[in-house]
Amino acid sequence: MNTINYTYFLGCIFLIIFSSCKHNENEYHHLTDKIEAKSKKYNGVSISSEAYIGDIKTVEITEGHHTFLIPDRKSQITSYTCTDCHSKPLTELKEVSLKKAHWDIMLEHANQEVMNCATCHNGNNMDHLLTLTGKTIDFNKSYRLCAQCHSNQFEDWKGGAHGKNIGGWANPRAVMTCVNCHNPHKPKIESRWPSRFNTQKVKERE
Amino acid sequence: MSGIGKYFKLNMNSATKQTSGSCSCGNSSGGCGSNNQDQMSDKDFDAAVDAAIGDERTKDGFEQVFDVKMDRRTAFRKLTASLVIGAGAVSSSCSLTTGENSKEKAQIDWEEQFKGNYKLMTDEEKKGTVDRLVRSYQLRKGENIKMSSTNAVKDVLFGYAFNISKCQGYMDCVNACVKENNQDRNSEMQYIRIHEMKDGEGLKFNEADDNYYHEVPAEGHFYMGTQCFHCDNPPCVDVCPVQATWREEDGLVVIDYDWCVGCRYCMAACPYDGRRFNWSTPEVPEEEINKNQHYLGNRMRKKGVMEKCTFCVQRSRSGKDPACVEACPTGARIFGNLLDPKSTIRWVLENKKVFRLKEDLGTEPKFWYFMD
Repeated sequence: MNTINYTYFLGCIFLIIFSSCKHNENEYHHLTDKIEAKSKKYNGVSISSEAYIGDIKTVEITEGHHTFLIPDRKSQITSYTCTDCHSKPLTELKEVSLKKAHWDIMLEHANQEVMNCATCHNGNNMDHLLTLTGKTIDFNKSYRLCAQCHSNQFEDWKGGAHGKNIGGWANPRAVMTCVNCHNPHKPKIESRWPSRFNTQKVKERE
Repeated sequence: MSGIGKYFKLNMNSATKQTSGSCSCGNSSGGCGSNNQDQMSDKDFDAAVDAAIGDERTKDGFEQVFDVKMDRRTAFRKLTASLVIGAGAVSSSCSLTTGENSKEKAQIDWEEQFKGNYKLMTDEEKKGTVDRLVRSYQLRKGENIKMSSTNAVKDVLFGYAFNISKCQGYMDCVNACVKENNQDRNSEMQYIRIHEMKDGEGLKFNEADDNYYHEVPAEGHFYMGTQCFHCDNPPCVDVCPVQATWREEDGLVVIDYDWCVGCRYCMAACPYDGRRFNWSTPEVPEEEINKNQHYLGNRMRKKGVMEKCTFCVQRSRSGKDPACVEACPTGARIFGNLLDPKSTIRWVLENKKVFRLKEDLGTEPKFWYFMD
């Protein structure tokens, strides 16, 4: 009888010690531990961001391990398809005195030694773009042209460190493609004035 | 109290011993206008303090409030005043002559007054208070708002990354934040600060300008935004004497504006200047009010309570990006679920060189900075 009591008592003590060692608050020593531990059990969430993409027509692309949506480009180019006008070779079009087109495009991208129109555009097939090695690229995948030189930005963009997310943080992931923010003919983003100024802060600090 | 006099005689960086007749202008005779001929002695000072606050110097708070000598007249006057307030509430809710609307208003006010802490509420109670607040707004302003009490979702931990190389200082995020979160227009409250820092001088917040107005990006400068970092070990939560602020399961540090007593301990405890206080009743023009609200987020605050960035809880809990992320034209702001191994925020944390502010404090902010 005595031994049963004794073991019962010991058992209770063990229980108390073991249950009290795990604090709820400090279960993890660092935030990174918590993220690592909790994401092992991650099964996805019910929340979807699909509704927030809005009216933007998107296309799904897969690059490396990443699959995501980018806005459709071809439907956004006003005079696509290009062959509606470019029915003859460029040299012939230049000879006839037609109404001038694309007069407003000035190429301010790298310098003239590095790039000209034909670096990206295919004079013989205006509906498609052209890689440096002469391969055809669809207008919807124009980011592949940019990635030829801007490989670091391309890596960051695929992962999510470069470029602007569309809609929400949950799946499906939709992201702006290069030409949605950068004008391909003049990719530098212009400086401008800030969109607000806090007059109260000035008064408070006088 | 006898040591108080030293503050009047303090004379730093002076080689000569100061004589009692001299003053800060250096003249020993009069003429500078600030001569302290009538400087008080310690004894006089003590006497003056005694006369002003009397025996409150020795009494504690309880004695000051309850152990007060009061004649019958004052006692009656005080009692009547409190009775009138109580009776007002009762009469407007029970009277047959007052209108249905004012009765309902009084009923709502009564229930709101005696509701519990949001943190401890059941889902029904949460819905109850949200419904009351919506109805109250309708009765008072004649406008319909949408207020949610959506709880944290399992397997979500919100995190944020900020690309210092990308931010150009346009402040579109600040603009969007003010509009989204119904921040007071009078005091121009802003949760986000964009600090303009000089290149090559490191992160010097004391020398940075957070209220610039010139063409940006200014040459030789970079921009860094700060806001509430939603620490995983938030010091602001620890110091709150009434537990009106806490960390939710999805990592958001939130405030129950109806439970906050406005002591501003949290403001003092935050090492990142993430919290804001309503010194006056926040005012937003009716047509500019964002009517898509959350109890813990952008619903209208009152005077004397704390508020801060909630990562736009009304948006983020339904899968939308916070307003600042959506507004940023440079893509410098990245938001996502830290527990999703495939999320963009996780890619940034794993592939870029990230850092957080004041990491040594152990506050564990869920807001990382990185560069291209």
